[in-house]
Amino acid sequence: MTRYDILICGIGGQGAISLGTVLKLAAIREGIGVAGAERRGGAQREGVVTSNVRYYAAGEGAAVSGLIPSGGAQMMISMEPLEALRQARYLNEGSVVIVNDFPLTPVHVRIGEYAYPAREEIYSRLKQFTPRVHAFNIDELSIGNFNSLRQVNTISLGIASALGGMPVSAASLLAVIRDQFPDFETNRRAFELGVKIAAS
Amino acid sequence: MKELALNEPGRIILAMGNDAIVRGGLEAGLGYFSTYPGTPASEIGEGYVSLREEFPHIHAEFSVNEHVAAHGAQGASWAGVRSMVTMKHVGMNVAAEVLHFAAYTGVKAGLVVVIGSDPGATSSTSEQDDRWYSLHTHLPLLEPSSIQEAMDFTKLAFELSEKYNLPVVLNAPSKLCHNIGSLTLGALPEKFSGKGKFEKNPQRYINLFGGSVANHRRAMENATRVAADAPSLGVNKVLPGAGTTGFISSSVNFLYLMEALALLGINDAPVMKIGMSYPLNAGEIAAFAKGLERVIVVEDLEGFIEHQVRSLLYGSGVTARIDGKNIFPAYGELDVDLITERLAAALGKKLPAAMARSIDLAKKLTADIPPRQGAFCIGCPHRATLYSVVKATDRKVIFAGDIGCYTLSCLPPFSAFDWVTCMNCGVGIAQGMMQTLDDGDVLAYVGDSTFFHSGIPGLINAVQQDSRMVLVILDNKWVAMTGHQPSPTTETAVDGAKFNPVDIKGLLKSIGVKYVRTVDPFNVKATTAAIKEALRKKEGVRVIISEAECALQYGRRLRYERPGYEVHYQIEPGICQKCDECYVQLGCPAIRRAEKGGTHYYYIEEAACLNCGACHDLCPNTAISRVEIKKRAKKEAAS
Repeated sequence: MTRYDILICGIGGQGAISLGTVLKLAAIREGIGVAGAERRGGAQREGVVTSNVRYYAAGEGAAVSGLIPSGGAQMMISMEPLEALRQARYLNEGSVVIVNDFPLTPVHVRIGEYAYPAREEIYSRLKQFTPRVHAFNIDELSIGNFNSLRQVNTISLGIASALGGMPVSAASLLAVIRDQFPDFETNRRAFELGVKIAAS
Repeated sequence: MKELALNEPGRIILAMGNDAIVRGGLEAGLGYFSTYPGTPASEIGEGYVSLREEFPHIHAEFSVNEHVAAHGAQGASWAGVRSMVTMKHVGMNVAAEVLHFAAYTGVKAGLVVVIGSDPGATSSTSEQDDRWYSLHTHLPLLEPSSIQEAMDFTKLAFELSEKYNLPVVLNAPSKLCHNIGSLTLGALPEKFSGKGKFEKNPQRYINLFGGSVANHRRAMENATRVAADAPSLGVNKVLPGAGTTGFISSSVNFLYLMEALALLGINDAPVMKIGMSYPLNAGEIAAFAKGLERVIVVEDLEGFIEHQVRSLLYGSGVTARIDGKNIFPAYGELDVDLITERLAAALGKKLPAAMARSIDLAKKLTADIPPRQGAFCIGCPHRATLYSVVKATDRKVIFAGDIGCYTLSCLPPFSAFDWVTCMNCGVGIAQGMMQTLDDGDVLAYVGDSTFFHSGIPGLINAVQQDSRMVLVILDNKWVAMTGHQPSPTTETAVDGAKFNPVDIKGLLKSIGVKYVRTVDPFNVKATTAAIKEALRKKEGVRVIISEAECALQYGRRLRYERPGYEVHYQIEPGICQKCDECYVQLGCPAIRRAEKGGTHYYYIEEAACLNCGACHDLCPNTAISRVEIKKRAKKEAAS
């Protein structure tokens, strides 16, 4: 297989690192090599968090670092619009970008030092990196379908699985979710909702 | 992580760098483990503590500070039990006194010191390069580059420690400790025990006068033996190449370098990967550099390897030009991008087109976006305390900062912190400074864990010297910032298990603090009044204990102990004056802003709110309502 790099970005508390862990465990299931690097928020909440997921052919591992270089990500899963733009340097012309179109206000916006950019502006800038930018209000989808925000990341995973051409299969991702999290039935439905939305 | 206990050699699991270090200790037959939690190394301790059932013979503890932790591990090693002590890089300053003796005395069983370093200071107040310590402690120093090596080098460290009678240091940066990737397990030992036997050995353990000099000499001789054997230990590796520019690198930077060389299309460069960066073997370095025109050393921070390479090659006849910190910064964290960009400039190469395009676009399109800083968690007692501190002082006192979650007080909206350096810089610096200031007051902060780590001597000094200050002890019952390890004041674990908490009030009384008030920070008005009253007194040491458990731990316990009622807070739109006290001054992320019909309003996001009640207490317009619902018991419903 060729290498495949995914950058996950979000805010402390949104589960970016857990989402990366699901993608990595799926690789272990399939015998695919996986490396990564995580940036944890300096504090518990609200700070910038990223997870690098790097798939490689098993055996190639001795030369794969945890960090994706600029322009190196085949896929980005961003849990927030502004955070996608913050990490845009990792995108290239072919990258697939999945964004949860649900802005969370940074402290500097709250206190009036900055304005949160218009969503259209964020997406138009992202599209200068790659045309393949897909934005969905996944918070709304999760609340609407499951009356909870717990399914947001599983829906994102379903979308990513359907859109990206990742080397790990949907079956492996679902098997990992079954192993790692309670209430598999709801998560399975959330994953499938993601797959369906990606096709629409 | 339970998979770390599997005895299935060859099995591939997903592990964090810190997990790999835990596994390395298990495979090496570790019997004693101690640590003071510090990012990025904290999860090593959590790993051993969580495996107590599977490995009951291992004593694993969160010690009160690094000095105590290092002594404990030294004691276990002297009793013949393989031991490990872990800490973050600045913890080494606290443990340094112990570890400077560790080479003098040597070890009985292997003693491994793991340092989680933090180039870039992403979770620290400094990025000091601890590797330099080895030049005067004489402790051999291993630098793993990958998750696999983190495990393999930990095992090797125990072997080297016993073979050369020296503790061995393993230095892993945050971008290895916290990285998550695949790890191939080795075998666990067939049987091992945590029980030892101390054999007296005054020549080694009593360091006095001539005995100390003899031990100093033996420590240096042991380090010299390690250096002599270095080429045969299999820890340094050379990737040969026909190029005339060679590279020397270590740690994660070795892998970054390999990616950078590939990106720049450099396929013929000889590369020396240093696994043990102290002591180096002069002959091994000279053999690599011989015949090369140029050697570029690629490493984080202040050029520890480069310094040794230059010194070892002096007079060796090697003519290669040595580069390192003239190309790469001696501060901050290196990554693939930075190494690629700096090497491209130094070697006259071009960046790959796709990479250059992304970097240029990012400079143009992402430079002006709002930053995102960390904030106190929703429901955090520190947010409520800080709101009261700002109200009570109007920021007109000196704020003596310290290390903990409350360090975030330096950021907006509070901005009530005038310094932060090392542990207990609050009380310590304040008590000296106030001896020199004629008027004004200082408000010092300290968290419970930081206070017990090393704050008590500073406070005793303040009392004895009658320094004037208000000390706010933010007692949230946990070492929260590093992931909720128990602190000396922890009362109840998340699952309900009870601890034996230290009585802070009793302690304060016994060291002579006469003015002590305890407040509930969510009771904002009372807390503000208590701080004002303490400041009015203007004399001596006054302590306010702001006591409320970390909101995350409190929230987690609710899974086990559900209260019999529900509480809801909401902003009444008809009463709210949009005065911004809750949205901006308190800055709680559960309080949100929305627009409707061309105007804005505030609301509390029910799914996010933890019901701390601070906003309800501080609202000047009583616009935030509190509803408490007691569900009818089933019996009543039936009647």
